[in-house]
Amino acid sequence: MANRTIPRLLQTPAIVLLLFWMLVPLSMTLFFSFIRYVLASTNRPEWTSPSISNWRGFGNYQYVWNQDSFWLAIHNSLLIVCSILFLTVILGVAIAILINRTFPGRGIVRVLLISPFFVMPAVNAVLWINMLLDPVLGLQGTAVAGANDLVALLRDAPVVGSFFSLWPQFEPISFRATQTSAYAVIMMVTWQWTPFAVLILMTSLQSEDQQQKEAAILDGASRWSQFRFLTLPHLARPIAIVVMIQAIFHLSLYAEIEIVSRGNGNKNLPYYIGELVNNNIGAASATGIFAVILANIVAIFLLRMLGKTLME
Amino acid sequence: MAIVAQHTKFSKVAWPVLAWAVGLLFFFPIFFMVMTSFKTDADAVKPEFLFRFTPTLENYTNMTNNYDYWRFATNSVITSVTATLFTLFVAVPCAYAMAFNPSRGTKDILMWMLSTKMLPAAAVLYPMIFMAKSLGIYDTKFLIVMVLSLINLPIAVWMLFTYFKDIPKDIIEAGQMDGLNTWGEVREILIPLAWGGIASTALLVFIFCWNEAYWTVRLTTIDAATLSKLIEGNRAPEGLFFGRLSAVSTAAVGPIVVLGWFCQKQLVQGLTFGAVK
Repeated sequence: MANRTIPRLLQTPAIVLLLFWMLVPLSMTLFFSFIRYVLASTNRPEWTSPSISNWRGFGNYQYVWNQDSFWLAIHNSLLIVCSILFLTVILGVAIAILINRTFPGRGIVRVLLISPFFVMPAVNAVLWINMLLDPVLGLQGTAVAGANDLVALLRDAPVVGSFFSLWPQFEPISFRATQTSAYAVIMMVTWQWTPFAVLILMTSLQSEDQQQKEAAILDGASRWSQFRFLTLPHLARPIAIVVMIQAIFHLSLYAEIEIVSRGNGNKNLPYYIGELVNNNIGAASATGIFAVILANIVAIFLLRMLGKTLME
Repeated sequence: MAIVAQHTKFSKVAWPVLAWAVGLLFFFPIFFMVMTSFKTDADAVKPEFLFRFTPTLENYTNMTNNYDYWRFATNSVITSVTATLFTLFVAVPCAYAMAFNPSRGTKDILMWMLSTKMLPAAAVLYPMIFMAKSLGIYDTKFLIVMVLSLINLPIAVWMLFTYFKDIPKDIIEAGQMDGLNTWGEVREILIPLAWGGIASTALLVFIFCWNEAYWTVRLTTIDAATLSKLIEGNRAPEGLFFGRLSAVSTAAVGPIVVLGWFCQKQLVQGLTFGAVK
């Protein structure tokens, strides 16, 4: 008897808290998504309080669905998430293999590599967009100006001068512009999360079967085929985990978007919701439900995979 | 032997050089930020002072005047520490019960807990603002502590569960034979044995709380604003204040980066929910 009651009692606070966290705000969002609800309206003051009499059915969903900015936000969300995933996985595998060997100072290199992961997102964005990427005052501006000076110098050089005189002036890129701001976000988040991929893939590499590898070497397998047929299959699972965990985190990027360009050119789904929340709560809630659906598609795969190994 | 034979002379030199180059490249932005924090605002944007400059502590000594740094830092410390303690207070008993008295539903409960972590924050933004304002707790440390605890609770339960699971059950049973009650089991057996696991869970939760940028920015204005909010609100347009901005940024991330160095290993378990070891 007591054997069952006490464990249940111990689990109750955690479960109740999370149940509250999961159910209450989400059901409010669900309710708001079906009513007309705005924060300020001079013509229709009755819409400014959440009431069932303002029922709109799927009207908010339809409204959001027909907005170009909604699709742009979905497009940006996917562009940003997929680019980051692609870059972090490629870089992660390469760097994990690079530092999986012993070499002098390996411990220090590991510490250097992991550091970006602990930088708070707001600082990451401020650091990159100002100090590093600013086209005039940042490191980029300095580097471009330096390169131009160098080319100018080489134009007067004897033999190679005629070649360099064909070179154009380098133009620095403004990463706050509509066309480029998404790339700034991709760059800074990739910098921050590649260490995460490296850390996990490296941990997994350490459990790789060394005997199998030695056998392969004795059989004369090339470096490439060792990687292709032994290492890569071994890494398949951790790569899948890296992809899914990152997808969940990056679908809700916010601080970076805000700091880089206030959503100009890189507005993703959370930022779009954040703008709608300033007035149109009904539409914001409907967009929120779309975001939940998008996140769930990713989550189902992750939970399936974790579920298999949970009780081992 | 075979492995050794594969390393040519070239790769013996090139490999470490490449590895060091990659490590330094990734660390460079942090180094650059720390370096800029020792320049005056005027020097920070002049190319001729890129690496050669007269270091000054002025940005750090003026941090309070420029940004009111300590007020935000105090808020960050109070909310992160309280949230971490509260999270552990709720998560340790839960994970303990799940690891030592698993029932048929335990696995499903764990899965469900994790699924709450996947709820996009933006989807419930307005309800949170609405509830906080109607309860009169908007922009209070209490609200931030609760939100930070809730978003980190699933990770804490998972991490602790994976640690507790590895403790042999026989030891607990032996304790029960000796007449220990549940609290006695926790105090005499579990905490001494799982101390490392609990400590690294605490460290990781603390780091996540400290770095949290969505809720702390959206649910605060002045009174409960944390360092994330401070940095977000001072993103220095046009590079007028690179020096002082770097100093306050360095002060905001420095302690956490150093803490992070000590829990690399645990990070893997914590972030992959025990699926990669």
